[in-house]
Amino acid sequence: MTDRTRLRTALSGVSVAAVLAAVAVFVGPAGAHKDPVTPQQLKAYEDALMEQVKLGDLLFHGDAATEKNMGVSLSKTGMACAMCHPMTADTHPHTYPKFQAQMAKFATLRDMINWCIEKPNQGEMIDSDSDAMKALEAYIYWSNTGSVLIPGRY
Amino acid sequence: MSELEQDRRDIASVLQQPGARPDPSLKITRRTFIHRSCLVGAATVAETFAWWPLLNTLDIAHAADAPFKFAWISDTHLYPRSLNTRFVEKTVRAAKEVQAMNPPADFLIFGGDLAQLGTVEELELGNELLKEIKIRKVYIPGEHDWYLDMGKKWGQLFGQPNWTFDHKGVRFIGLDTISRAPDYWSMRKMSAKERMDHMSVLDGTVAGPWAGVGRDQLDWMQKTLSTWDRNRPVIIFSHNPLYEYYPPWNFWVRDWRDVNEVLKPYTKVTNIHGHVHQVLYNEIGTMRSIGMLATSWPWPYAPEGVPKLTKPMIRVDPGDPFDGVGWSPMSVAADDKIGTEYVMWGRKEVFAQSTEDSHENIPEKLRPRVADNMWPY
Repeated sequence: MTDRTRLRTALSGVSVAAVLAAVAVFVGPAGAHKDPVTPQQLKAYEDALMEQVKLGDLLFHGDAATEKNMGVSLSKTGMACAMCHPMTADTHPHTYPKFQAQMAKFATLRDMINWCIEKPNQGEMIDSDSDAMKALEAYIYWSNTGSVLIPGRY
Repeated sequence: MSELEQDRRDIASVLQQPGARPDPSLKITRRTFIHRSCLVGAATVAETFAWWPLLNTLDIAHAADAPFKFAWISDTHLYPRSLNTRFVEKTVRAAKEVQAMNPPADFLIFGGDLAQLGTVEELELGNELLKEIKIRKVYIPGEHDWYLDMGKKWGQLFGQPNWTFDHKGVRFIGLDTISRAPDYWSMRKMSAKERMDHMSVLDGTVAGPWAGVGRDQLDWMQKTLSTWDRNRPVIIFSHNPLYEYYPPWNFWVRDWRDVNEVLKPYTKVTNIHGHVHQVLYNEIGTMRSIGMLATSWPWPYAPEGVPKLTKPMIRVDPGDPFDGVGWSPMSVAADDKIGTEYVMWGRKEVFAQSTEDSHENIPEKLRPRVADNMWPY
């Protein structure tokens, strides 16, 4: 059944509720990405990214207040991620997933972030889906914008 | 064309004219540690690093009066002992190894960044640890030593940040490349700690182009050199490299053109510098530059601007705190050659042996950070 016939079927009924439901389905949320995107929407999407990028930037540079707010302890040695990775140099997010020699396993960027937190930084590993992990990932990817994907590169 | 590229082209046109090279008696030789793979025909390796394939030391000839050795340690970045014991252990190890040199070194040059956040506790800890070394010691400051109290404690412990002396036919100059940052703190009403925090982050965007020699110090250097024969060797110690490598990380001094103007008449100038925490080699006009390892941690090579003459150091294992770091003994032999060796604790081979061993194996594009420019600073 095509969308058009489905819509016609809905409209042929007597229930106002059904009509409203159909309107909600086809014009409401589902229509949000079918209309031309507005500058306001683009800005909102960009803001959503940059908010995470900034949080990740602060975590990556060892900002104590941000760590406290997010309930994480990424280092106990005074080392911050950025001390070995200025501007996220040498994090190489564009090479994941790959076999990671340090862990002797096939790993994602998130696995490697946690390895660095645990080993060189001697901090507490964070949940792979946590807000802090997403923020760190956002910052690292954003900072490497334009780097060409080469998954698996040693 | 970016401003940076324009700068590079300008300096090349001024200083890199055909035939302008350091005096030919300053010669880098291939030496020692011929790896088995080289003898058994590793053609691909030879192709990648066609010149300088497998060496661990640099030999640089100078016309010194008598043979002697000196040693370099820098970038210990000490935190208080209670926070970080690894940096302390590595400083202790370097100090013991320098003290154990046989025959002994004539002096130690400490190349800056003794402390991480410039506190009295950190600087005094560093001073204590270096007391293991009984030979003469000379010091230049790094930015991490300076911006909490604007060099007060460092000056109490180590005296003048710039100096010169002659030793067995070589004129040595210690430069202060760190204390002349443009004032980024007063307008923003930063505390001393905030000022230091911004300075202590290599990729920070607030402190700006803080590395420089300054007109006053350039004049002093010119005066110092005016009494020196232009064909005799000069060795200049500085925290930052005296050429332009990567300004966003202050891997330069902002007045590198003026520095080169002053040094241009001298044919045997060698600049030995810290700050970069990596193996580096470059020639600008008649000056050679050699970058030194830190004892604390290695920096990656910058995403652009690595000198073509640099044979890259090996990619290090982040799981080994002793990898990618170390110190350097330097010897001046009877035949007037100065040997510079990288003692990298985690490795026998300091230089990348193949493309895969090199950081350059993975191309990357990087953006400067954003969050440190948000209020409050």
